[in-house]
Amino acid sequence: MAARGAVARPPRRLGRVGATTRRVGTTWPYLVPALFFFVGWQLYPIVRVLWISFTDYHFLTGGPTHWIGLQNYTDAFSDPLVRKGLMRAAIFTAVFLPGMVFFPMVLAVLVDRVRNSKAASTYRLILLIPAMIPGPLIFVLWGWLYSSAIGPINYFLVDVFHVYNIYNEPQWLGSSALVYVSLAMMEWWWGLGFHTMFYLAGLGTIPKELYESARVDGASEWRVFWRITFPRLRPILLVLVVLRFGTAFALIDEYIILGGFNRDRPTYTWTVYMWDNAFQVGDWNQGFAAAVGLIGTAAMLVVVLWLFYLFRSRD
Amino acid sequence: MSDEYQVDELYTGDGGTFDRQELLRRGAAAGLAIPTISLLFGAKAAFARPSARSLTPTFYQWIYNIHPDIPDTLNKQYAKKHPLDAKIAPVQGFGIERFVAEAKQKKSTWDVYVGMTPFVEMAQLIAAGVIEPWDKYMPAAVKKDIIPSILNEVTYQGHIWSWPFLLDIIVQARNGELVSKAGLDPEHNPATWDELISMAKTVVDKKAAPFGVTFDAHGWRSLAPITHTFSPNVYYGPGLFDFTSDAALNALDVMKRMKELANPNVLEPGKTDGGVNATPDEDAFAARQVAYYVKYQNAPIRFAATWPDPSQLRQAGLPKQPGGSGATVFWTTGSALFKYGQNKQQAADYLKFLTYNPVIWQRSLGTAEKGNHAGQLAPYSSLWNRWSKNPPSWLPKWGPVVFDQLKVSRAIRTNKFGLQQFVIGQPYWEKYLKGDESDPKKAMLDAKNAVYAEYKKTK
Repeated sequence: MAARGAVARPPRRLGRVGATTRRVGTTWPYLVPALFFFVGWQLYPIVRVLWISFTDYHFLTGGPTHWIGLQNYTDAFSDPLVRKGLMRAAIFTAVFLPGMVFFPMVLAVLVDRVRNSKAASTYRLILLIPAMIPGPLIFVLWGWLYSSAIGPINYFLVDVFHVYNIYNEPQWLGSSALVYVSLAMMEWWWGLGFHTMFYLAGLGTIPKELYESARVDGASEWRVFWRITFPRLRPILLVLVVLRFGTAFALIDEYIILGGFNRDRPTYTWTVYMWDNAFQVGDWNQGFAAAVGLIGTAAMLVVVLWLFYLFRSRD
Repeated sequence: MSDEYQVDELYTGDGGTFDRQELLRRGAAAGLAIPTISLLFGAKAAFARPSARSLTPTFYQWIYNIHPDIPDTLNKQYAKKHPLDAKIAPVQGFGIERFVAEAKQKKSTWDVYVGMTPFVEMAQLIAAGVIEPWDKYMPAAVKKDIIPSILNEVTYQGHIWSWPFLLDIIVQARNGELVSKAGLDPEHNPATWDELISMAKTVVDKKAAPFGVTFDAHGWRSLAPITHTFSPNVYYGPGLFDFTSDAALNALDVMKRMKELANPNVLEPGKTDGGVNATPDEDAFAARQVAYYVKYQNAPIRFAATWPDPSQLRQAGLPKQPGGSGATVFWTTGSALFKYGQNKQQAADYLKFLTYNPVIWQRSLGTAEKGNHAGQLAPYSSLWNRWSKNPPSWLPKWGPVVFDQLKVSRAIRTNKFGLQQFVIGQPYWEKYLKGDESDPKKAMLDAKNAVYAEYKKTK
């Protein structure tokens, strides 16, 4: 039996064409399925929605679809609900992002300092538990937590600690002042483990000698964090902020499940309005809904480009 | 430095270990196999030859939840006679997009949908060519037996589009224990809205409960039925609700006065179905925090079942102001026949079996086990005639009293905005309820204009 690592027989001589053929033959069969799904399930829907946005396509009614140019976009720009919806999404994103950035970062720094490997693994496992729970279950769980009549949060605030009474207890999802914070807290909790892992991966790449040198030089913990840790987490920060900005601004499931379709509520954002027009109201004017969706997408792209500029490498 | 040939050789082991290519090959095979297998399983029904498919009804989930006899007993019983493959419909939040998408491809995974409410989604299903009328399949005796106002509700453009099944009527309910605690007579049904509100205030003043009265904030469950108690003739033009009618303005005033005695979160959305169900009023009534309740009758029944003493529940028809018509709103949840489905005559046979079944009505109306009351009423004259001539022991006192309201009740008119008009209008009349708008006429005019603006966009 030939020893592992030893050349067992003389190398084959395939020539240049043979090498290229072999390279193509061993890579493209594995790429084609992924390409198929990418084109069919990502690219094609985007192109199709773009086309629909320039037509008077109503899903419920039959009949021919007509090209109407920019009419849907004109209607959307002049629709106060679209502007209001975008603003509402922006407000929620502004409330959500800072907590999403800093809580996991602080937690990662603390977990990273745990020297006992078993304890560190246990902490990581506990942090990841919420990330394993499917979204709708999370929303049902927090809907119950936030419930005035039967939820435990208000039970402790009203019946146990008497901070509030039954007439002035917090309406976590009903109050315009509280709903964004309530939803943000739910999202922070849900994503805490996942985001912490991101930061832990980043912290693992920072040479420990830097910290040792800084401490020898008398740097405080805050200076160490601000001058060593934070700058080196910048690439991780960019990825997280861009990803989470996208999900926060385009949030829809939480709004529909926990907020409903009342157009006056803070949770009736541009995504809910788009969905409402596409699948509920009237003839399901999907041309208009597509235009609303693409306007929201364009707004997000502008912000993402600005984020890339903000987090650009300064080396 | 090893060339590319040598690298491959280096990775070739003799001990049966995977090489890189083998790993990629097997991974690709697994990656393709899993979706392929699931596709084949999922496509099984669509590929079935027309004559091979069992009757395939599909149910809105909540029907199974509150009528467990359907999946547990009745479907099994029917399946002994004819093959049956009942499913749960993908219609969360009354969404019908899957049905519409299949109809566009001229196919249907199911044969009949049990869960359609005429004023909610019937007009849209008809416009999209998803369903066909029951005219050819419904026996004449059944058609004759449907209560006339219900037959009117399920008829659209001269055809019967819904086979009615579960009847809901907006009623008033109360917790007898809390009413007694306030020094009031628990058997007395408030005759007018003024009386109901006065009694609710007494409950609060006497500290019998934190809140006096609650209601479901959705317009078709509160604004519309309260309006109908003043007058049911409040629809205009294409069948839209006239928010600016005197009856609607009177109803809004009643709601404003009720809100002052209601749980603070009464206007919040519910926890399921896009905020439509599991609403705050249900929590408050179940938790015995409120004495009086305005909603469709099966809600107080289901939540009173959670009380230590469910027999404290009382129900009656809605109050009526002097000069008012005393009507209310009702709707039926019925069955729609898919145009591209199969087994259509079989579907009619199945629905006749289901909708006349005594097990359904005894469980729904009877005072059997705790938590087992669906509380929904039957849509057939023959059943009510039989029960009134020979009242069965399980028929509750409120049954005939509530049923009597059908004589003067009206369903919300069927059109594409039957339900949506109340969703679109709600933010406007709620401004008045919350005190953000002091002029009720302006609030209601804004609601009417908002709905009409959406209506004008339709083809």
